[in-house]
Amino acid sequence: MVVVAGLGAAVGALGRYGVTRLVQRVYGNYWPLATLLINWLGCALLGGLTGWQVGHLMTVLIGTGVLGGFTTFSTFSHEVVMLADQRRFGAVLGYVSLSVGGGLLLAAGGLWLGLHLH
Amino acid sequence: MAKIVAIIGWAFVGGATRYGLSVTLPIVAGFPWATVIVNLVGSGLLAWLSHAETLTAKWPNALTVGLGVGGLGAFTTFSTFGVDTVHLLDQQSWGLVGLYIAVSLIGGLVMSGLGVWCARRWWHFPVAEV
Repeated sequence: MVVVAGLGAAVGALGRYGVTRLVQRVYGNYWPLATLLINWLGCALLGGLTGWQVGHLMTVLIGTGVLGGFTTFSTFSHEVVMLADQRRFGAVLGYVSLSVGGGLLLAAGGLWLGLHLH
Repeated sequence: MAKIVAIIGWAFVGGATRYGLSVTLPIVAGFPWATVIVNLVGSGLLAWLSHAETLTAKWPNALTVGLGVGGLGAFTTFSTFGVDTVHLLDQQSWGLVGLYIAVSLIGGLVMSGLGVWCARRWWHFPVAEV
């Protein structure tokens, strides 16, 4: 199962790298939009997967592996610290509340959808 | 191409380690410690790595990107944090919800700030005097 989680995480991290490069090419990197979108999408999908109640193998592969590797907490924290370092406190507040508030709403929505569509 | 290979390899290590910890560390009193620990440790290390210039200058670029984007990015997770919190909300464990969000967020920012500070203090090239 460790190998399954690792393989999934490799796919997820590669997806995150691709999305980040794409978003930064289109939007720029003045504001950390890429990580926000990645974490939002990952929360919604993991909620859906959890609500759907897939088997253990798929939970580890897609949930722990792909979505766990796709989303990231370390980049989120670092981006917040960098915004604070640049004294952009409005951006700090906006980024943190959008990430956490939006992430929770999307996880709950995904969970609800997964439970009801299953 | 070297970057892609490094990201895949290190993300495998990061994700596998996170899974290993998640099945090893117990959930004490309904509190998901494993996720808290990986997110705090990963936040500190990524911030440090991103600013440890004198160290990463000697490394191939692919190693730094692989370790940061792949290893530490995949080691930490935001989706599990979100879904865990929703589960705790669903169980109306308000105290645990508050504790989980506060420890993850404040802890993550403190660790990240500490990582940046340490790297700037001890792993920075000296600023040239004018």
